[in-house]
Amino acid sequence: MTRPLRRTPLRWTLPLLGVVLAVVAWWLVSLVMTGAKQVPSPAATLHAAVVGFTEHDLLLDLRLSVLRVLIGVAIGCAVAVPVGFVLAWYRPLRLMFEPLVSFFRALPPIALIPLVIVYLGIGEQARLSVLSYAAFFAAVVVIYESVAAVDDIYVRAGRAMGASGLELFARIVVPYTVPQVFVAVRVALGIAWATLVAAELTVAQRGLGTYIQDAANFSRKPDLFAGIVLIGLSAVVMDRVLVAVMRVSVRWQDRVAR
Amino acid sequence: MTTMIGFDDVRLGFGGVEVLDGVGFGVGEGEFVSVLGPSGCGKSTLLNIAAGFLRPDSGEATVAGEPVTGPDHRRGVVFQQYAIFPWLTVEKNIGFGLTLRANRRSREERRAQVARYVELMGLQGFEKSLPKTLSGGMRQRVALARAYATEPQVLLMDEPFAALDAQTREYLQELLVETTQTERRTTMLITHSVEEAIFLSHRVVVLGNRPTRVREVVDVPVPFPRTPESRLQPEFLAVRRHLEDLMRSESTTSARS
Repeated sequence: MTRPLRRTPLRWTLPLLGVVLAVVAWWLVSLVMTGAKQVPSPAATLHAAVVGFTEHDLLLDLRLSVLRVLIGVAIGCAVAVPVGFVLAWYRPLRLMFEPLVSFFRALPPIALIPLVIVYLGIGEQARLSVLSYAAFFAAVVVIYESVAAVDDIYVRAGRAMGASGLELFARIVVPYTVPQVFVAVRVALGIAWATLVAAELTVAQRGLGTYIQDAANFSRKPDLFAGIVLIGLSAVVMDRVLVAVMRVSVRWQDRVAR
Repeated sequence: MTTMIGFDDVRLGFGGVEVLDGVGFGVGEGEFVSVLGPSGCGKSTLLNIAAGFLRPDSGEATVAGEPVTGPDHRRGVVFQQYAIFPWLTVEKNIGFGLTLRANRRSREERRAQVARYVELMGLQGFEKSLPKTLSGGMRQRVALARAYATEPQVLLMDEPFAALDAQTREYLQELLVETTQTERRTTMLITHSVEEAIFLSHRVVVLGNRPTRVREVVDVPVPFPRTPESRLQPEFLAVRRHLEDLMRSESTTSARS
């Protein structure tokens, strides 16, 4: 008999094993790749990170990047949630704006960076507007598609009990869609990290993107690797925190998206 | 007896195919009537018309003498797929209809109403449970309680037990028959089970196959109160044989066409 995985210690040890395997593989590669195309070992990378935090204020870069992502996603999603619901609920509006939303969503946010530089310069405002933009279009589509996917049986049950249009929306559509709002924020977070690093590569004095760009310019490979790992870790931590919040707040769901 | 649910020459087609071809019958006040027919004959369509989810092409459905023009809280609906809200607890599901503007009650009244139907449906101890923790049979009991709690003029049940296993189905039929004896409410139940139709109903309306018309209306002379033993009474078995013959001839007609 196979026991459900979630109840066994494997639930914790297997992911750990995956990470260990990856680090070992990285270490083996670092043994082989030496000379001009040298790959720094995990230990060297860790050392570079420690030096970065203690001597080069890497924490400032990390803080700036994380803050930029959080603010960008917050602004983008704060606008996307109401807009997504309104677009989904009023069919004429959706029909009217769907092509525009598709256009702007298909447009890679990175492509807007040069345009933003022209109009907004290279300040914090420029970066945040690109990030908010990216987060908004990523989230808005998820939200209005999830509203459109509300199971008709619940709407009919509500109508049979005499729910008005507003009651259907507030008491059935919104609660049903809450898990999808979390999904929208997750998608927005992913896009925001991708956009942030690109934005920082070109238009920032500090930040993780700048950090790895500098490291590459001066061929400081351990720093380059440390920066990349740090970007990945930050994104993963944010995602996990969001999933944990989602688990607690939408207990009613049969299964929470992984 | 006043007619509470009436169908008058109801016709409806989908994409040029006639589904209901002049259906007419009535359900009297306090009466429990089952609509029996082969699958795909349009019996659920008929319920959707009475509930106000669908408009007939011609003819009309009336409830309490008024033509049905749309969904209304005075007509309770129980769906085959339960349709209880997964994000609400059992008691909030049952009280839901009484929080809506169209049918709002005071908090005390709502609490009393919820407690009453929690008890009638045997859901004590599960008031705070979420639907995902309940079995199919319990979910449907919540749905029944929710429909009764809104105190509709008529109840419309669309194959409410079709998705349940045989044992649970029989148990829920017994629970429902008990409920109808304490809580006399005009009810129209859609089913394809002969046994279920007889056990629950005063009368059974048998629909013929597409295009659908009323083939026969059969009185069920099995006395109340009905218990599991009712299923073995000679009256029960006689009606059952008659209805099974009717259904069999219906399915052969449709097989030939």
